[in-house]
Amino acid sequence: MVYTGKNAASSPAVEEPRIGVFICHCGTNIAGSIDVPAVKEYAETIPHVVVAQNYAYMCSTPGQNMIKEAIEEHHLTGIVVAACTPRLHEQTFRTATANGGLNQFRFEMANIRDQGSWVHMHDWDGGTDKAKDAVRIAVAKAAKLEDLYPMAVPVEHRALVVGAGIGGIQASMDLAAAGIETYLIEKEPTIGGRMSQLDKTFPTLDCSQCILSPKMAEAGRTPNIKLYTLAEVENVEGYIGNFDVTIRRHARGVLTPTEAAAKGIVGGGCTGCGDCSTVCPVVKPNSWEFGMAPRKAIYIQHAQVVPLIYTIDFDACVKCGLCITACGTKKAIDLEMEDELFTIKVGTVIIATGYETFPIEQKKEWGYKLYDNVITSLEFERLICASGPTIGHLVRPSDGETPKSVGFVLCAGSRDNTGVGKPYCSRFCCMYSLKHAHQIIEKIPGCKAYIFYMDIRSFGKAYEEFYYRIQHEGAKFIRGRVAMIQELPNKNLLVIAEDTLLGMPVEIEVDLVVLAAAIQPTAETEVVRRHFGVSCSIDKWLLEAHPKLNPCGTTTAGVYLAGVCQGPKDIPDTVAQAEGAASAASIPIHAGQVELEPYYAQCMQDICAGCGMCVNQCPYSALAMTIVDGRTVMEVTAAKCKGCGTCGGFCPGGAIKMQHFTSPQILAQIDAFFLGGEQ
Amino acid sequence: MSHETHKYAFFLGCIAPNRYPGIEASAIRTGKNLGIELVPLKGASCCPAPGAFGSIDLNVWYAMAARNLILAEQMNMDIALICNGCYKSIWEVNHKLKHNDELRDSVNEVLKEVDMEFKGTTNVYHLAELYYNDDVCGLDKIRDSVNTPLAGVKVACHYGCHLLKPAKDREFAGGAIGDSEHPMWFEELVDALGAEAVEYRNKMECCGAGGGVRGYDIAHALDITNEKLTNMAAVGADAIVDTCPFCQLQFDRGQFEIGQKFGVEWNIPVLHYCEMLGLAQGMTPNELGLDLHQISCNPFLDKLKGGQ
Repeated sequence: MVYTGKNAASSPAVEEPRIGVFICHCGTNIAGSIDVPAVKEYAETIPHVVVAQNYAYMCSTPGQNMIKEAIEEHHLTGIVVAACTPRLHEQTFRTATANGGLNQFRFEMANIRDQGSWVHMHDWDGGTDKAKDAVRIAVAKAAKLEDLYPMAVPVEHRALVVGAGIGGIQASMDLAAAGIETYLIEKEPTIGGRMSQLDKTFPTLDCSQCILSPKMAEAGRTPNIKLYTLAEVENVEGYIGNFDVTIRRHARGVLTPTEAAAKGIVGGGCTGCGDCSTVCPVVKPNSWEFGMAPRKAIYIQHAQVVPLIYTIDFDACVKCGLCITACGTKKAIDLEMEDELFTIKVGTVIIATGYETFPIEQKKEWGYKLYDNVITSLEFERLICASGPTIGHLVRPSDGETPKSVGFVLCAGSRDNTGVGKPYCSRFCCMYSLKHAHQIIEKIPGCKAYIFYMDIRSFGKAYEEFYYRIQHEGAKFIRGRVAMIQELPNKNLLVIAEDTLLGMPVEIEVDLVVLAAAIQPTAETEVVRRHFGVSCSIDKWLLEAHPKLNPCGTTTAGVYLAGVCQGPKDIPDTVAQAEGAASAASIPIHAGQVELEPYYAQCMQDICAGCGMCVNQCPYSALAMTIVDGRTVMEVTAAKCKGCGTCGGFCPGGAIKMQHFTSPQILAQIDAFFLGGEQ
Repeated sequence: MSHETHKYAFFLGCIAPNRYPGIEASAIRTGKNLGIELVPLKGASCCPAPGAFGSIDLNVWYAMAARNLILAEQMNMDIALICNGCYKSIWEVNHKLKHNDELRDSVNEVLKEVDMEFKGTTNVYHLAELYYNDDVCGLDKIRDSVNTPLAGVKVACHYGCHLLKPAKDREFAGGAIGDSEHPMWFEELVDALGAEAVEYRNKMECCGAGGGVRGYDIAHALDITNEKLTNMAAVGADAIVDTCPFCQLQFDRGQFEIGQKFGVEWNIPVLHYCEMLGLAQGMTPNELGLDLHQISCNPFLDKLKGGQ
């Protein structure tokens, strides 16, 4: 990309600063804790300030007009608004500044609400003094602001979706339908994610695979979707519109028909016939079935995988070669295959990395992994599913008998403030546990379902009705967290809880206990998050740009979130967010270009000594040495620069200028703070 | 395995010296055989009892416990003790005062009247914890010290509550001792004596005495004790072993009271781990004052003789 900007690397022409200060009441948000008229009177005494005004809501149209009119009337050179935070209204006031005829970057914000009135709510004098300081500091900077111009960069007409559960699949299909070539990568050998492990979905009792597999199949055959399974993000460079993402494709050991054709093997490649698996002598537990079923070293996870290509578990494979013989002329198997790295260029990215269950064995009082007949809800899903290891016959692990009573422990590790567990609600456990109760009552005549719950959160459409239905089907509801589970000599379990409605302890003997374990982000989510510079909240779920008004975006431009990686949610909410993320991710691509803030470094080449020490300091490879008029000097590739300031702070000759954060501007702010305005 | 001698200020508590002097005697003698020297903590008071004092006036509880801690600080020694209740008071107050400046200042303000100041320079350990710790003693050393193995007897371990719970306030850091739901370290300590530690249902249940329940509602306390005894008897326990004289009192005196109130006779001997270790190291029942136990220890002792 060639960029010819108007932003000059030289110092601005000297002009006498004329600053206008506008102080917002924000109703009582600010004025309730800070003496706004006193701040206004003080502002009038600050050097360079020619006008100071206060108003109830500066962000309102009359407030914005005050700025515009003051610029025209007083020939202002800089604007200071003391109000909330740039995160909320920087663009509002930039626009007002521009409407008055000034360059929009001649605006500086003093945060006297989030960092002022709100934190000093009960300190009128102290809060007012701090607001005066904030205004004085902002004026000092405003007096030295320069005209700047945003830079436009083109956006690559491709997108990347990381994670191919239902969220990632839906987002990819939407992007593809919008005409955007989409890379969909998945770390497992098949797409489908958690939803493919479920038997039925609540409250409609649809077969989960029946509604998911058409989407899996479509994602697999849509030309606009480039699907890579057994693949993970290895490295990320670039920025919105121009991400260079390196993908690691783990060695599968098996060629697809396309790959085989590329190697000149006519009619070759894996057809999914399974002859290899039949002869493979190595048996391992199938992790997709939570170890409750076997698989071979060359395997597919289940019957409906997409793509239908076998995979070799190289940790288990003994390389006996029987599979190669069985595969015959298709020549699909390559026991020497190695990981492959390749780089793709995309404009926007959607992260949809889902969840895993909290290791519920850490809640030792419930005895998971200690007592045979305590299982998790996902294990229950596989045991009750017709395609599962028991062909849908629910059995208890200790003796293979059909249980006649089942205890469901809700909030197992969720809503838990003991330090072992998660403080948040995992959100879908109430509903799937109701579904589980329905399933055992329906499938096993006379089987009793005991649901130990704190609250039943039937929050969605038709969910409360489903709850009502399960109550009438005869499930017993006991309101109280389970204190302890004891294993009896016959491997039955004694569930000990407090019934908080009866106000007394209860002990119920059951054949099987199902723990509705809390969920947490996958381990890979943290890796992907760091690659893309996305923040996370304290519970490690990925952080949306705004919890209410921008739930699909992140603070990294061009990166969006879909599904549970952003926080616990059920299938309808995941699909809705995925469609939202796909829409958001397609906007910059369809717009064709994005404007970037002009906050990048500039080299003042006339004073650059050409030492080159800054080049290696740059985390974004934005700096390079070049020769200008016979002198070696540094040059910044503006589009790559993130404006972090590392080089600017480092340069021994002071030859690097950080736009909008220049040394004179920052020093003026520091002086204004320490010298109290006496410069 | 450590060969040096570890010295600790020995905090006796009240129930051991008053009711079961054999616990005190065996703690000192078995410790000596294992390189642990227990130095008397002169001038110590009641810990004070966490249920009785802590439930009524925390400030008294803090100040009295702090005074005991200061006595150890003045000796430049860490504290070893033999009672779960004492552990709760002494360990927990030490922990609180070390981590809460405001609380420490207010306690020191009180202690100024007796010219004392809590500095936070001592650590508190239960003797059982030290026995299990390889850096101080460890199972191998205990095994080597046994000259009269307790062969042929089944022993039900009672961990008691205050040593391990509340787990989030303790600092065992998730090691073998830190598991408050399914711990096995006490069984390992008992197995090291040649006895067979038996698993029984609901082994982490309270003895029934703690938290002031014994003093406040003896019938309720005994009901809990009876449930524990039922579970221990179901697996054929020849004896109960504990790490807490108050639990011991509840099981020992409690069996007599259960007989009187409910008409149920269990007659399961109750020993502190130090007493059991003393037997395994060759101390005589007389030296251990086992005749002072309410429930006769003779069936257990006879079975041991039969086994040898």
